[in-house]
Amino acid sequence: MKIVHKKYILLFALTIMFAATSQAQIAKAEIQATGLTCSMCSNAINKQLKSLAEVENVEIDLNTNTFTVTLKENNSLKPSVFKENVEKAGFFIGSLILTVKPETIAKEPYILLDGKEKQANEILIQVLDKGYVTNKTFKKLSKSYKNSLTFNNNDETDFHIKVLN
Amino acid sequence: MKKYLLLFTVLICQKSIGQELFLLTDPASNVPANSLAVNILQSAFEREMTSGYMYGIMPEVTYGLNRNLMFRASAFVSNRNNEMVAEGGNFLAKYRFYSQDDLNSHFRLAAFGRYSFNNAPIHQEQIEIMGQNSGFETGIVATKLIKKLAISSTISFEKAFDNTPNNSFPDNFGNNATNYTLSFGKLMYPKKYTSLKQTNINLMVEFIGQTINENGKSYLDVIPVVQFIFNSQARLDLAYRREIMSSMVRSAPNGVYLNLYYTFFNVVK
Repeated sequence: MKIVHKKYILLFALTIMFAATSQAQIAKAEIQATGLTCSMCSNAINKQLKSLAEVENVEIDLNTNTFTVTLKENNSLKPSVFKENVEKAGFFIGSLILTVKPETIAKEPYILLDGKEKQANEILIQVLDKGYVTNKTFKKLSKSYKNSLTFNNNDETDFHIKVLN
Repeated sequence: MKKYLLLFTVLICQKSIGQELFLLTDPASNVPANSLAVNILQSAFEREMTSGYMYGIMPEVTYGLNRNLMFRASAFVSNRNNEMVAEGGNFLAKYRFYSQDDLNSHFRLAAFGRYSFNNAPIHQEQIEIMGQNSGFETGIVATKLIKKLAISSTISFEKAFDNTPNNSFPDNFGNNATNYTLSFGKLMYPKKYTSLKQTNINLMVEFIGQTINENGKSYLDVIPVVQFIFNSQARLDLAYRREIMSSMVRSAPNGVYLNLYYTFFNVVK
């Protein structure tokens, strides 16, 4: 009985682990960077993103400074990795839109602020926290979400999101 | 001449797509973290007191430690005394302490300090720790990018020491100065980006001035620059430096620059 019980616990733990790795992933990130207009600056961001092992490919629209980052499967990246790397290149994030599975945002560190949870295969979410939107946008958002218990705490470990599709 | 320079400045300011990778006046932005940039700045300046040209070679290495802090080391080689000899070096640290970025625009502030050593004889009242004097310089840079037009300005304090080991700074010269710069930059080509491989052409104009604090002697120079960027990684700058006004003794104020620049990204894995 005891052995069976332990086996179940192990199985349960493994299931959770696998579920966590397969569900927490981000498939794609669309980053709009701010504060730059030169292709050498864009290239700095490009090289910084490509240095990440989890990155499969980076496509750049130089005219809008938008970087579409395709990520490898089963990665466990958090939105903060994009912020850190854009800032390392010397710039900032103006908007970050992620393509994720519905399960990903159903739990921590994501907090749904706007839009409804959907059961589509892939959903688009925008991260609304400070450092993931322009300063002007953030000021507006903090007024709109002043009733949120967590949004204005600026806790860097959680991510407030809006479902776009 | 002055008319053309004015026209050049107006031209750059009107069309509002800008760059801030200036040749002589560093912007408030730094090189990317964990990148290493190497460049060789060559110059040929017409001698005022004797005939001929003074050639200079300045190799530089720039490293971005993190997003806010960068370091640079420079060496000075010139034929001031007829043979090409290494005369000194400079260390620079620049810290970006304020950034207000928006889509296609930013306002940034940085503080910098540099220290130089030099062994050359001192022939001029102008204080120039980038190649002529031992000494230090410390100051603040503000760079604004408005709708893609880059404007950058610096104010700094510069002090000269005796040149090591036995060329002392003349007693009758003022040994400290206030420096000021104002720079404008514009992207001429391409009008629309298609890829990172595209060659970019930038036009810039930089103004550099100095006032010796003790006696008020001053100069003001203008430096128009044409810049080519290849493969979003390499740079070639061609520039001409011209004295607009001066009330001090300078050994070689007018000349040309050629700068080659290359960036290595993600140097430490």
